[in-house]
Amino acid sequence: MKKNYLQKVLAMALVGTMALGTLAGCSEKETPASGSNESTSVPESSDQQSTEESSTQDAGSEDADGAGVAGVEGYTAFAENVTLSIPVYDRGQEGVPAIGENYWEQWLQENFGDKYNITLKFVPITRTDVLTSYSLLASSKSLPTFLMEYDFPKLAGWVADGSLTTYDLDQFAQIAPTYYQRMVDLDQIKYTTMDNGTYFVLAERPYYNTSYTFVKWVRMDWLRKVGYDHIPATRAEYIDAMTKIQEEGIADHPAGGATSADMRGIDQSYQFRDYPMNEEEWVMYGDYAIPALGWEPNKKLLRELNENYNLGFTNPEYYVTDVETAKANFINGKTYEYSDYIAANIDWLNSFYATNPDAELAIAVQATEADTEYGTVPASRSDNPFGMMIGFSSQASEDEIKAAMMYMEWMLQEENLFVMQWGFEGDNFNYGEDGLPASVNYADYEGEHKQGFSNNKDYWCVAIEARSAGTIEDTIKAATPQGLPQDFSEELIQHYYNKVAAAEKGWIITDCMFGTVLTTIEEYQGDLLSMYAEARDDLIMCDPEEFDAKYDEWAQKYADAGYRAIAEERLQAMKDGLTSAMQQ
Amino acid sequence: MAKSKNAKANVQTSVTWKNAFKRDWQLYLLLLFPLVMVIVFSYAAYPGLRLVFMDYKPAKGYEGSEWVGMATFAKIFKDADFFRALKNSIVFNLMDLAVGFPMPIILALMLNELRYPRFKKVTQTILYLPHFLSWVIIGAVAYSMFRPTTGLVNMALMNAGVIQEGIPFLTEKYHWAATYLLVGVWQGMGWGTIIYLAAITGISGDLYEAAMIDGANRWKRMWHITLPGIKGTVVTLLIMNLGRVMGSNLERLREFGNTQVKDFQYQLAIYIYDKGLGGGKFSMSTAVNLFQSAVGVVLVLLADRVAKKLGEDGLL
Repeated sequence: MKKNYLQKVLAMALVGTMALGTLAGCSEKETPASGSNESTSVPESSDQQSTEESSTQDAGSEDADGAGVAGVEGYTAFAENVTLSIPVYDRGQEGVPAIGENYWEQWLQENFGDKYNITLKFVPITRTDVLTSYSLLASSKSLPTFLMEYDFPKLAGWVADGSLTTYDLDQFAQIAPTYYQRMVDLDQIKYTTMDNGTYFVLAERPYYNTSYTFVKWVRMDWLRKVGYDHIPATRAEYIDAMTKIQEEGIADHPAGGATSADMRGIDQSYQFRDYPMNEEEWVMYGDYAIPALGWEPNKKLLRELNENYNLGFTNPEYYVTDVETAKANFINGKTYEYSDYIAANIDWLNSFYATNPDAELAIAVQATEADTEYGTVPASRSDNPFGMMIGFSSQASEDEIKAAMMYMEWMLQEENLFVMQWGFEGDNFNYGEDGLPASVNYADYEGEHKQGFSNNKDYWCVAIEARSAGTIEDTIKAATPQGLPQDFSEELIQHYYNKVAAAEKGWIITDCMFGTVLTTIEEYQGDLLSMYAEARDDLIMCDPEEFDAKYDEWAQKYADAGYRAIAEERLQAMKDGLTSAMQQ
Repeated sequence: MAKSKNAKANVQTSVTWKNAFKRDWQLYLLLLFPLVMVIVFSYAAYPGLRLVFMDYKPAKGYEGSEWVGMATFAKIFKDADFFRALKNSIVFNLMDLAVGFPMPIILALMLNELRYPRFKKVTQTILYLPHFLSWVIIGAVAYSMFRPTTGLVNMALMNAGVIQEGIPFLTEKYHWAATYLLVGVWQGMGWGTIIYLAAITGISGDLYEAAMIDGANRWKRMWHITLPGIKGTVVTLLIMNLGRVMGSNLERLREFGNTQVKDFQYQLAIYIYDKGLGGGKFSMSTAVNLFQSAVGVVLVLLADRVAKKLGEDGLL
């Protein structure tokens, strides 16, 4: 009897658990911002709702008609609750507040959403696989209200596959006048269209062509040991210094190296190009998204990598070494150089100094003179003249798109942006003696107000790409790694000014942007990136005497696999007047 | 009274569905949920297969996407990379089957012979553990162990003077193939023993007792009693495994892959990801998957037929 009863209970419990477990995955979260349910959803039958309905008008339609005051001052609450679904990059980082349940989302809901009867819903987008994330959302008809990305070709792809819808620029100017005016001032309006439709809103990227945030750290103490008091400025000096480092037994493979899972953006050949560039070549091959195998600058770059490999500078196992291992190798004093973005707090730099307390690092400051003997110029890629490119979902309603425009305008207001970027005084930042805010060490604060990745950047990037505090020098100082035995602020400031000088010489130019969907890219990009990974390792690791023959062979295969078709379509777009103009 | 009821029950030769359900409703209830899951996730999704005949765009959905007939299949069957991936998939899956299929059987026979229960349980647990590791972890560990010069195994062998140069376990395609297959066997063999051990427990102990009285040693008991006793299970699992000859595991291939072994690593899962999903080509990915499944079904049916001709029960 007892056994039978037990069996029944167990059977019921097991089935119940299985059912609940599965159904839990099917449920939809109405309001991910925890604790915000009550304040955001207004019951239809409540007195509050009827009062609001009678006293307010639909914010978007009033402004669009031009009857009301444009901009934030003129916003009124929507008559019926509108859901604004906002994409947020999920970077898989430990120690940052989870998307969908953190204080800052609640703060946005309370300070923006509740005011205008908008329910904010935050959708995590896997940073390393943005396209798949959006595709899955599109197929389940749950795209966020707007889609955003930094890469122009991705946006073009979304136009092509129907994920994005056009919008009315005049309406945007009414609802978001500050945002619109900034786009005008920054000469961004020309980037808003694709195939004659207005699709994109552009955020600001300050100092886009003189970006100082990605730098290379090198072992200055090693250089001093081998007789250098400066970072090698030419190829000849570099080879000499690396060879001496090897000969002194300081490091076997000082240049290190790692493989990359994504070939997009790899092997940028800007320093091997001739300036001013030929505009047709710039259009056809000067691209960032697909490496230009078969183009002379690419060949020169790969030949240099081949030389580094054969001289033993590069880690012979680089192609089976991931980025984290490469970083660990630098921290453990096995390699001479490592590149990364700067931030006020960089964990790996703390680890580096803990492991190598006597080490001296230096930042490889932007060069301003060409290496005439070797035939290179200190050129690099300019970022796009905008930050996030934002397009509105074709699955969003008119009101949802209006709410998105309001959100962008609201976020751009100084008082809102400041709180999102810097947080709260005492918890997230303190004012320095100069009266400027300075972030507290990220790891030192674990309270409720802990910001998301890079000071909440993935939330405020709809407005702007970087924080600023005072002058450019103040901003750089604020972004300089803190709490280290060395202060890099002067080198970083010099790095910035050298970038300005290089940009003025026409060595830092923006890639071509296409005002039309290039179908060949959609068709062949996957194949080409896969082939390039194979080709580059083959070319880097081959005998130098075989390099030319192998390169030509791969270039032919690459062209046949679709690169030729892409170059031709790009050239045609230029002839049709559908490309941006080269500025140098 | 109770006695007569029992007598009545004993003479009953058939059980109605109603009675069976009343008697074993707990078991049916347990079966219900997996059954619904299979129906919902394996059969209800079938209408979605129409996207292989469309140029499917997620944002446009089925209604807005364009019908293209057999164009997607035509494109795939004209693609040399597809045949390269197909060949690699078939070759590696057959090798996986040849190396990996007998191992759980051998292991189950060995485990069955262990007499000290605690040792047996600990051994079984240790053997099951790799099954619960993700391929991401296994891949990372494999690279740490088998890199040509900085891998633990090569360093140990070089320090011991056994080899002068590192063995390219994962960086030369033939070595890679062997390592890839053996790590696969290591990962799956422990878990694979479960079904065989369950089948072995179904063999009557009387048979072993009688054999022992007749003087049969362990080897003979294993050969003449245990193996024939689990033959049906072996055949069933073999048929099911044949259905997977066209399949491939993206995580396993990705985590073990590098550019030096692409000749062998380029299998259908990689092809589907690189050319299909990675570029948002859902129609193409689904078409290749459908082809894989169709061939898998044909192989299962053929194997089932062969098994039946050889006097086995088969699967269907």
